[in-house]
Amino acid sequence: MKKVNKWKRLAALGVSAMMIFSTVACGSDSKEGSKTDDGDVKKSTKGTTISFWNSFTGSDGDMLVELVNRYNEENKDGITVEMDISSDFDSQLSTAFAAGTGPTMILSSSAYRFTYGDYMQDIGDVFDKTNLNKDDFIQSYLDYCSEGDKLYFVPFQVVGYYMYWNKDLFQAAGLNPETPPSTWEEWQSYAEKITDEGKNIYGSGISYDYPYQIAHMMQRLGGLAVKDDNGSWKADFAGNTGYTDFLTMYKTLIDNGDNPLEADTDSMVSAGQIGMTVGGPWVTAGLDTAGVNYGIGLIPQGDAGDMNSVEVLGFSVTTTASDEEKEAAYKFIEWWNSENTEGSSPALEWSVSNGFPAYTYSVQEKEEYKQSEKLSVMSSANPDAPTDFIVDSSFPGINDILNDVIPEMINSVAFGNASVEDALEKAQNTADKIVEEYSK
Amino acid sequence: MKKMIKYWNKPSRSAYLFLAPSVILLILFSVVPLIIAFGLSLFDVSITMDSARFIGLENFAEAFQDSRFINSLKVTAIFTGLEVPLQVLGALVVAALIAKNNIKNKIFRAVYFLPVICSATAIGIMWKMILHSNIGFVTAALQSMGLGKINFLNTPGLTIFVVSFISIWRSFGISAIIYVTAIQQVSASLYEAAEMDGAGKIRQFWHITAPSIRPTFWYILMTRFAGALQIFDIIYITTNGGPNYTTESTVTYIYSRAFSSRSSMGYASAMSVILFAIIMVVTVLMYHKMNQED
Repeated sequence: MKKVNKWKRLAALGVSAMMIFSTVACGSDSKEGSKTDDGDVKKSTKGTTISFWNSFTGSDGDMLVELVNRYNEENKDGITVEMDISSDFDSQLSTAFAAGTGPTMILSSSAYRFTYGDYMQDIGDVFDKTNLNKDDFIQSYLDYCSEGDKLYFVPFQVVGYYMYWNKDLFQAAGLNPETPPSTWEEWQSYAEKITDEGKNIYGSGISYDYPYQIAHMMQRLGGLAVKDDNGSWKADFAGNTGYTDFLTMYKTLIDNGDNPLEADTDSMVSAGQIGMTVGGPWVTAGLDTAGVNYGIGLIPQGDAGDMNSVEVLGFSVTTTASDEEKEAAYKFIEWWNSENTEGSSPALEWSVSNGFPAYTYSVQEKEEYKQSEKLSVMSSANPDAPTDFIVDSSFPGINDILNDVIPEMINSVAFGNASVEDALEKAQNTADKIVEEYSK
Repeated sequence: MKKMIKYWNKPSRSAYLFLAPSVILLILFSVVPLIIAFGLSLFDVSITMDSARFIGLENFAEAFQDSRFINSLKVTAIFTGLEVPLQVLGALVVAALIAKNNIKNKIFRAVYFLPVICSATAIGIMWKMILHSNIGFVTAALQSMGLGKINFLNTPGLTIFVVSFISIWRSFGISAIIYVTAIQQVSASLYEAAEMDGAGKIRQFWHITAPSIRPTFWYILMTRFAGALQIFDIIYITTNGGPNYTTESTVTYIYSRAFSSRSSMGYASAMSVILFAIIMVVTVLMYHKMNQED
């Protein structure tokens, strides 16, 4: 009996040790794991393996996986790109950087340079070390990815916002379905005509919970919320007549029942219950799936003048990358933007398949690209117009303006807590504090 | 080696070895992060943890002047006040009705438990669609019955009740199952004796079932309280704190401060510490009360 107890204890000891070991093993270096998984040590020492993190978890992520796999199979330099797509990309990245590690290359909004700028390399020499032609890239997009004379991102995707209108609802309201509103006054009057309360149809679809959408419209009317004022930042909410007009228009649309008081207007757009809305290129996927007869155009201009406000997503190389890894990342970026023998390139495929406007002139010139009505409209914005989105593109506090200032302002107006003037005054105070914080 | 085996072979010592894996995990993933959060709350530090600046209690002072943080505490208190009593008592009533082991009750238990095993994201999206002001099934059904268009998820004052309902619907199954297990442990002889004395079902419930399952009641009450004070997922998916911040819970706000804007890890940690203190005080008071009753 005593002997059995002894063995039982020893077995338990072994199990405990295994549990501890497995816990430690879970946190071990993943590079070692992949080496063993490959079972091909020769390959990993001969070529270069680079890690590539991004957050493309949607259907476009499948295409990205396909293209990266194609690169891994096709490239003759023995480079392997190990991609990690995560819905928790931001916290994954911050945790890795805080721990002194991180991927070779990331794909993110160029605004990430404000948060992770210390962990990103200047990749301005990518045009010297590869066959990429700098002049082929639209300069304003490259500017968006730069800080002074340093380039932190090579453009990958340009995200602009556009106006979408439901042609059937236009027709039902007696409007010309081929002529969308070109001014905000027209937007309001069309919305009134389209709205049919009995059928749950609204002329205008502006969500109070969509700061990006609100910001794109506000900017057309009142310009940038934070400007460069002779070397210092200046917030411009209080007394901004363009913003006052926008908020007054939004409140009127809600009070008149021409715009739903709803956070999720995208579902209504896809259900064919919204006459006009503003959104990114992804809106078309929902509309196409639902079979909505729609048109796409540029957002009506306001008093702020011509602008091409966009968000540019791009490839960047982190400081954890060695010279060899950086070079491998450059080769991948070069491949992405290079034509094959049939005249196609991953950049062109991505643009046409996912409906994002091109950032190079050569892609814009491709017949396949020109044939797409959507892409032609998206590319019709003046590329020389300022691309800044809601704040001066070098102001680091864009996320704070989008997440803290605009939502509070629009909510207080939409739900009647404050007058337009009071809401702008409060927004000015909050924005001033943010500007002060970043001016330190 | 022999010496070592002999040393650890004593029952009083080998117990530590059995405890070791759990204790190590607890230290690594609970105690250490907690201590780090306490430390971070005293610094002005970003998400990447670089360039930390010691600022003492400034983050705490800022939190108590931050109207959104104060609002989030109010919202969390309202949510807890709605969710906990309804869940704890509702689950008890349901458990009493499905405690007997027959096929019908087993099916009901499985049905009530289903939302517990579903992801909060799926549940949130489902309710968001069902309750949508224009294309939602429930909204359309109520409208067709002539009850007007109810904007469940976009009406300040109403939405917090809706979110509480979703949260209760999602997790009351687990409370009910725990109650059922406790009720089934109550000795059948007590019910037989009560029946012989002429006690009806309701009297049996109040005088036999309820006192017998009191420890379970306290357990559910304490865990639900702590859970409700930390509500995040359902709110994040369904309303994201809206409309007009009327459903923005403390954890939702902490998350937005840490990850969405400003990336202020120090400030977010300070708010977490305040929430931790509140949860601790409430839990200790409840524990004290439970011991007093025992």
